[in-house]
Amino acid sequence: MTRWSAIWLVIAAALLLAVPPIIGNDFYVNMASQVLIYALFALSINMMLGYGGMVSLGHAGYLGLAGYTCILLTINGFDQLSAAILSLAFSTAMAGLFGMLSLRAPGLGFIMITLAVGQIVWGIAYRANTLTGGDNGLRLPARPMPFGIDLNSAPRFYYFALAVLAVALFFIWRFSRSPFGASLKGARDQPRRMTMLGYDVWLIRWLTFVIAGFWGSVASLLFVYYNLFLSPHALGLQQSAEILLMAILGGASSLAGPIVGAAIITLVKNVISTYVERWNTLLGAIFVIVIIFMPYGLVPGCQQLWRRVTARRKRTDKKTASEPAA
Amino acid sequence: MTAPALQITGLNKRFGGLPATKDVSLTVMPGERRLIIGPNGAGKTTLFNLVTGDLHADGGSIKLFGEELMGMRTPERVHRGLARTYQILTLFPREQLVHNVVLALLGLERLRWNPWAVLTGHRHLYERAREALAQVGLGDSAERVVAETSYGERRRLELAMALAQKPKVLLLDEPLAGLSQGERQTVRDLLGKIPRDVTIVMIEHDMDTALGFAERITLLHYGEVIVEGTRAEVVADPRTREVYLGD
Repeated sequence: MTRWSAIWLVIAAALLLAVPPIIGNDFYVNMASQVLIYALFALSINMMLGYGGMVSLGHAGYLGLAGYTCILLTINGFDQLSAAILSLAFSTAMAGLFGMLSLRAPGLGFIMITLAVGQIVWGIAYRANTLTGGDNGLRLPARPMPFGIDLNSAPRFYYFALAVLAVALFFIWRFSRSPFGASLKGARDQPRRMTMLGYDVWLIRWLTFVIAGFWGSVASLLFVYYNLFLSPHALGLQQSAEILLMAILGGASSLAGPIVGAAIITLVKNVISTYVERWNTLLGAIFVIVIIFMPYGLVPGCQQLWRRVTARRKRTDKKTASEPAA
Repeated sequence: MTAPALQITGLNKRFGGLPATKDVSLTVMPGERRLIIGPNGAGKTTLFNLVTGDLHADGGSIKLFGEELMGMRTPERVHRGLARTYQILTLFPREQLVHNVVLALLGLERLRWNPWAVLTGHRHLYERAREALAQVGLGDSAERVVAETSYGERRRLELAMALAQKPKVLLLDEPLAGLSQGERQTVRDLLGKIPRDVTIVMIEHDMDTALGFAERITLLHYGEVIVEGTRAEVVADPRTREVYLGD
């Protein structure tokens, strides 16, 4: 880690910790919690997208798998911890199955199969009335109380979500610099060569799919804990596409990108929409502008801009220094 | 008697109705330098692809030191000591040279599955990668990005990646393609320095280099072995003149 990224990390952490006291207002603190939840969704999809070059349009499916399982188990008498662990296990196992299906085809085929699989989950949630309550959705009786801490107040839930995100971020950061991460990036750029170097490209991609599914499921649990409610609308194609857009908007090749993308899209959706009726148009416009000027997304784009500015400043410094004093 | 390094028997491959490899049999002994020649479309690269498992053969047998490779997936074949270079450069253009070689080394290590360790913390991999780069004369360029290097340097990087894996059998697909005279000499010297415990099968059109390098030559034509023998035998054979060398 360079000195600058360490400084940025400390600043970001301090800011995130200070959000509830600074904002004060519960409505906005809740919105910040939503940003954190979506940030985890975007980070998890980005493990596939950014490092593996795999575009998935079915990521909201995990909301259905982990979310409904957790609610159903809780309603049927399981304690919160067992419900959480079992639903994560089930959802991750399903990610294994979905991965096997999706990775049958490369490229566009992969996208379409993830889309289909996500829609199947949606369809089941929508149609299986007796199990999922269909269109009416299901209610989670209460938020969990990890270590006896009550999460019902907005700031407390925010800190809970922040803690979960921090843990996930740490794991994903290590992942991105690990030998496995290097194998994954290699498989993205030169799959044929990687095979010839002794790598099992299919298995690398499948494992990534499963790991991304696991973190997507963690985000899903947060989502359900936050809303205390889940209906098929939350796991449709629109949700999957938004998660994907967050990662792309912020910058899929960077670690911070998906978080920034999640923040922007969530804020536009929730804040701007109270003032502007056509917030969807605005979101579209933001997206188009970013892609035109920063095709790799906001974070890499800004980093490049920053490098250019500092390089220019250095050059002018040198120039003035080398000019003889008049 | 030791098992041949590479023993191909009755190998067949058709693309639709077009036979690309027709009943090819050849035996390469350990430590041998074998040259495969033939006009364009003779099925030389196809043969390599069949040996590595990039393509699935329709029938026949491929044995590496007596072990059957047919039905085995490419990575498994690589882990048994097979390596190749590509005629069309297949590198990681946005990465440093040293990272390219580290990936080659990592491919054979269990460490490649580790999602937690920090790759750059594994100094020994980087040291070995630097050694491999130094071997091909790129020791000073380890930190450069592939996209900034010359074509000749990339050719040598291809070679470094294959050699770093310390293969038992190395398949070289036109290692001199597109190089200038000076660079050819450099690569020629590099090839000459590869130790004898590496068996080499090479496809090459540069006859000066190829004939100087190889002990035995196999001539392919329309997917079939037409002539095989020592350098002198093959060059003297009238069929070689007819299909390949011209007058």
